[in-house]
Amino acid sequence: MTCRDLDTQLTAYLDGELIAEASLSVENHLASCEDCRRRVEIERHNLNAIRQAAKAAAPVAPEHFKARLFENLRRDGDQQRRASMRRFAALAAGVTVALVVGHQSYRSYQRRLYEQDAAFRHARQLPLEITQGNEGVQQWFGGKVDYRVNVPSFPNAKCAGGRLLNVRDKQAAYIRYDGARPMGLFVYGDDGDVDVGAEPAMGNSHGYNVVSWREGDVVYQLVSDLNEDDIRELVPGTNAPTTAPVGSGTPQLDVRPASLKQ
Amino acid sequence: MFGFSRSNQQRSQFEAQLKPWLDGLYASALRLTRNERNAEDLVQDTVMRAWRFFDRFEQGTNFRAWIFKILTNTFINGYRRNTRERSLQDESERQSVEARFFSADQTEQAQNPEEYLLERVMSEDVLAAIDALSIDFRMVVILADLQEFSYKEIADILDVPVGTVMSRLFRGRKQLQKILMEKEAAPAPMGREPVDLNAFRERKKLA
Repeated sequence: MTCRDLDTQLTAYLDGELIAEASLSVENHLASCEDCRRRVEIERHNLNAIRQAAKAAAPVAPEHFKARLFENLRRDGDQQRRASMRRFAALAAGVTVALVVGHQSYRSYQRRLYEQDAAFRHARQLPLEITQGNEGVQQWFGGKVDYRVNVPSFPNAKCAGGRLLNVRDKQAAYIRYDGARPMGLFVYGDDGDVDVGAEPAMGNSHGYNVVSWREGDVVYQLVSDLNEDDIRELVPGTNAPTTAPVGSGTPQLDVRPASLKQ
Repeated sequence: MFGFSRSNQQRSQFEAQLKPWLDGLYASALRLTRNERNAEDLVQDTVMRAWRFFDRFEQGTNFRAWIFKILTNTFINGYRRNTRERSLQDESERQSVEARFFSADQTEQAQNPEEYLLERVMSEDVLAAIDALSIDFRMVVILADLQEFSYKEIADILDVPVGTVMSRLFRGRKQLQKILMEKEAAPAPMGREPVDLNAFRERKKLA
């Protein structure tokens, strides 16, 4: 090792950062070089003097600052916890609302589709498979659909007959009534995907008014070109298309099996 | 679940690991920012960031080096911009560390023949001299001589090779000694100094 070599290693040597061999080779050189020995001694002295002086004056963090720091830390933790709770609550609420609204609008949308298709099929005046009164029609449907079809009676309208057809890929019983104007009644077995309650709701499509209501798992849709007031007389409790179903619950429709009627 | 929610237990764990090093962090921040208000802000920012990233800290590893790394990064990214200091880093990293090492040694050696510093060098002179160093030198001197980190730790903290740490430390200490020698030789250096000593002493009185 030369004196120049020592320059590159002096800092590391003083800091004890040299690996054992390198350190040994520095010490070998120092043993034989008076100048370098003196240099190392001065460097070590100065380094220690500087370090000690700096240490003696090392400032400490003021107590009020520390107190504030830990308080902020605590508050930050609480804020984060609260924020995360808020985020979670907001997210949960958002999801719930989206689910409810989404499901609701999906079901409304479904009902609208059924209204459209029912109106469309009624307008086509498809031939009837059976031409009988309430009781005969009701019997005829027995065993042909997997739900019970009750054929209601309407004032000033006479059951003309019925047939099977599909509304939106759903099997439906179709009953035609003749009166002042012909009416069609669609009866579906419902899987809960049509937004309609026991209270009749009014919609319209293809120039027809469509009243929908539910009897348990069976959904009824009455399609007619009668005006709304006449329909309300036919189906008491029918709501206007835009209003939410409120007020008196069940329709005073007699949808009991014809066999049970007097 | 959302990454931010922490238990009180976690916080007390963090506080327990932080407490022993708060003074060191503050002392280092003071040397970096050269201003008590900024030093407090820097430590505050550092601690908050450390707390936010605490779940990324591997328990059992070097917490002190970890939080000092956050301190220097926070300083470099935020506070340094305000201090408008010129960085040596680009220059020194462009040239090879070895080449700088030798050339620096030779020039500074020639200008600055070695002699003993006074046995009892004034503490505040040392601090003022550290404050007068350019930022890259100041950082390694603070970490090595005030906080006594190893070269390896400093290399990790500053994200530079160990050779760079060594070279900066060598040159930083040379400058430091030079400043202190000049002060000893001319004990009334007001106005010529790169730092405002009056302001510094005012701050010392307040501290």
